[in-house]
Amino acid sequence: MSREAITGFRVVKPGFFSLLQDAGRSGYEHLGVTSGGAMDEMAASWANRLLDNPAGSTLIEITAGGLELEARTQTMLSVTGGDLNLTINDEPQAPWRSFWVSTGDRLRFARPRIGFRAYLAVQGGFQVPASLGSAATVKRDALGGLHQDGSALREDDFIAAGFLPEEQLPRQLPERFMPDYTGPVTLNIIPGYQQNEFSKEAWRQVLKQPFELDTRSDRMGARLLGDAIASPDLAMFSEGISYASVQVPPDGQPIVMLNDRQTLGGYPKLGNILPLDCYALAQRQPGTEVRFAHIGLMTAQQQMRRYLRFFGL
Amino acid sequence: MSSHKPTPQFELAGVNAMLVRMGNQMRSEMPTYLKQIRDLLLRDYGELITQVTPAYNTLLVEYDPRACRMYDLQQLLEKVLAEMPYEENASCRKLVEIPVCYAASYAPDLEQVARHCKLTTDEVIEIHRATDYQVYALGFAPGFAYLGELDKRLQVPRLDTPRQQVPAGAVAIAEQQTAVYPSQSPGGWNLIGFSPMQWFNWQEEPMTPVEVGDCVRFVKVSEAEMKSLEKQGMPRT
Repeated sequence: MSREAITGFRVVKPGFFSLLQDAGRSGYEHLGVTSGGAMDEMAASWANRLLDNPAGSTLIEITAGGLELEARTQTMLSVTGGDLNLTINDEPQAPWRSFWVSTGDRLRFARPRIGFRAYLAVQGGFQVPASLGSAATVKRDALGGLHQDGSALREDDFIAAGFLPEEQLPRQLPERFMPDYTGPVTLNIIPGYQQNEFSKEAWRQVLKQPFELDTRSDRMGARLLGDAIASPDLAMFSEGISYASVQVPPDGQPIVMLNDRQTLGGYPKLGNILPLDCYALAQRQPGTEVRFAHIGLMTAQQQMRRYLRFFGL
Repeated sequence: MSSHKPTPQFELAGVNAMLVRMGNQMRSEMPTYLKQIRDLLLRDYGELITQVTPAYNTLLVEYDPRACRMYDLQQLLEKVLAEMPYEENASCRKLVEIPVCYAASYAPDLEQVARHCKLTTDEVIEIHRATDYQVYALGFAPGFAYLGELDKRLQVPRLDTPRQQVPAGAVAIAEQQTAVYPSQSPGGWNLIGFSPMQWFNWQEEPMTPVEVGDCVRFVKVSEAEMKSLEKQGMPRT
């Protein structure tokens, strides 16, 4: 099929870091393959929900802005997450809604006004071949994305998407559902069973002192800066790392392990963050104040079950 | 049943995961045992259990919190582990031979390792290739196999300053372990050789030449043989 025969979107400018993402890869951790997936899964889920797409349909995660696309089709799009000053043909657009675009339209994301990452979904999902069951782009694993090699979107990439014969009613997320990405963020932590390896004093400190989101944070982990937490000196072999676990390396600066985390690690862990809070964290820019609060497993699971059921994940 | 069968400890690892810890030692029968448990869990309880990651003496068990609660999962795992036979001195599931070129130009740390171990470089090579290694874990990067246990005479610490870039195929040692870097990455292990073998290709089946519980034997090849292997395309097994 010639390229002209396919409908979709051309990447005019790739921006700082724009990645095709979905719900991530599952089932290959035992070979060292990490999950990947949308960092703010909640916003990504809403983007698909606004278009009645199946949960986990492939969309674009735009970090810090800069992406410019040209429509080579007519279809419905939706945009959620951070407000990255989206314009269509130079007209400003508010996020958390769906809208119609037609051939020749230019979408531009600029620097973030609120939040850090925007999610752009298209009716039916972007049509990208799956690598190990997922289109999720993971640079360090050289997996996923448009070219199936882990590379971010590049200038002149063409991302296939469907064509709709006629415009559909736009939808907007009711304001009460919209997350607030401004201000400090609290990470609810479920203490893990290694909690006893940390001293009572260390725990008091974790729950009391503020941390700051470090500039070295990335898709592997959110690095927090603060007065050092005394990390127990355990002689550990590497072990599987679950999503949202909090490792404390010898320097005492906690790391929240996120979507592109390495599958194995050997640092002592305080416990795990409620995933919903990690989604909120993914919308914070470096320098944001971060605090920890305690949450029980039962409460955390209730919240996650409600979330997963709501979005049909 | 052996008296050495480890007693499992269950650790909370988030809203959808538990870590099963079985002792705190590197034991040669453990990889095969973990692999058997993994296979059984995914085969019989795939509705509840989504992923199982074995490493050394632990299994990370991820589950669907809508399908079961942690306490039920723990009971299930206790039952499975109680019924699972534990074999001392379990043999490798399969043995995979890996060509390695130890020529100086591919082994930047070989001389330093020899000095540290008070051996000649030939002795280092001889000891390294004469041992059969078990795969204790796969992780860090796709296809990175942690191989143990390295002969005590070759045990050296990691580099003080990790390299920014270790080339794919570098054969490395550190402490009790040896490994081949599957892809170019930063790394702090001592580089003592090079293998033209490919360790991860998601478009092939299997994707990795070995899994946890398999064994690896390094076969010494000359630089010319290594180059010809490389030219043929990286062999798999």
